Amino acid sequence: MNTNSNTYTVIYTTLVCVLVAAILAFVSQLLKPKQEANEKAETISQILTAAGFDEKAHWQEIGNAATIDFYKENLAEAYTVSAQGAQVKSLDKAKADIYSVSDLKVQNRAIKAGKDYEIPVYTFTNGVTVIPVYGAGLWGPVWGYLSFDASLDNIEGAYFDHESETPGLGGKIKDDPAFRAQFKGKNVNYADAKAFEIVKGGAPADKRNAIDAITGATMTSKGLDEAINNWLGAFKAYLQGRIQAKAAEAEAAAAAAAEAEAAETETQTAE
Amino acid sequence: MNQKMKETILNPILKGNPITVLVLGICSSLAVTVEMKGALVMALSVTLVTGLSSLICSLLRKTIPNRVRIIIQLVVVALMVILVDQLLKSFEGTYPIDKQLSVYIGLIITNCIVMGRIEAFALGNKPIPSLLDGLANGVGYGLILIIVAFFRELLGSGTLFGIPVLAKLGYVNNGLMILPPMALILIGCIIWVQRSIQKDLQEK
Repeated sequence: MNTNSNTYTVIYTTLVCVLVAAILAFVSQLLKPKQEANEKAETISQILTAAGFDEKAHWQEIGNAATIDFYKENLAEAYTVSAQGAQVKSLDKAKADIYSVSDLKVQNRAIKAGKDYEIPVYTFTNGVTVIPVYGAGLWGPVWGYLSFDASLDNIEGAYFDHESETPGLGGKIKDDPAFRAQFKGKNVNYADAKAFEIVKGGAPADKRNAIDAITGATMTSKGLDEAINNWLGAFKAYLQGRIQAKAAEAEAAAAAAAEAEAAETETQTAE
Repeated sequence: MNQKMKETILNPILKGNPITVLVLGICSSLAVTVEMKGALVMALSVTLVTGLSSLICSLLRKTIPNRVRIIIQLVVVALMVILVDQLLKSFEGTYPIDKQLSVYIGLIITNCIVMGRIEAFALGNKPIPSLLDGLANGVGYGLILIIVAFFRELLGSGTLFGIPVLAKLGYVNNGLMILPPMALILIGCIIWVQRSIQKDLQEK
């Protein structure tokens, strides 16, 4: 047979492609549940790392099952919130329901388009609150988690991941512990033009809501900055609502204490 | 085993090593040799991919239309790489390594060793020698990868396979070893050593 004829070439190439596509589709379907379980455990370990429970390597060491158990034990509540800051629905704790990266992608599109969105919040029994962020880096999506302590005025920690940023440059958002360590003790300030900033050339020392960008990774740093600000904007109503509720609570407590004191002085005078 | 078989297996590991003699696959050898674990998984993946795609291409060699042979080879290589990647993603033990190697597993597709061996060997030889040639080239590549990773992890992080070795002796980690240029320097040293031993590799 003439293997160089056009008809043969076209038929041969088509057959090879169809066959390869079929094999890949079959394998992908076959392995999907396992891969999804791994991805879920990975996301949970990222949330736990951002919350400051332990370093990322620890979760790998103890394995998927133990990581998910730890998450269930220490989770106070996980729920989604709307643009108005209202709690929409609760995420099942027993099933360790979380928003996967692809869920975040869907919500990110809604946030950017100005449509209604539902984004997850994870609160832990030690008072830490974790929120996700998602955006575009240089080559692909970047995402991650920011955690706040009980006062919501201090960032407790952060963890970021990416799909295809350059290793050693943009990849540092994930691999460089020094970059992530910068987040601790910072805060989010909605009064500024940017609630949080990643500054190229170094953040001013007196600015609490800014950190240094990564050298050699301008576009990834910019992308992450945008991701953080977009999502902080989306969480604005929720976070401010909680801070106000906390302030009102503190005020009420102070008022109650003052009243109790006044009552005490009164009884003393009466005596 | 006859002489020719032996040659097929040993040549890519020593005299015709893909990294030190053919200088192929340098990109990934710089990127994945920070740790032994990553290097080992990469070495195994490349060995599997070169071996199996050489085998398949050799089986198909008489049917492949000459004008589109590169594309057909690429499809076969891509199939193998994606299968390896999918498998690595499916197991709990290998998932973190797959994540760590990230793009480099996918980039095995463009690793010159794979296509190079198919073009140079598999298309003109029977399936079994082609399989051996592919596997041997993968091993030759992996061997250099592991040697480089050994020095980089030991001197850069003071550990081997993540187990502290030098750290206990009060060794201060050398940050330069972690950076890609050091892999290039180490490969240079390996090429130097190899050429001093095998004099016939030296250019006049």
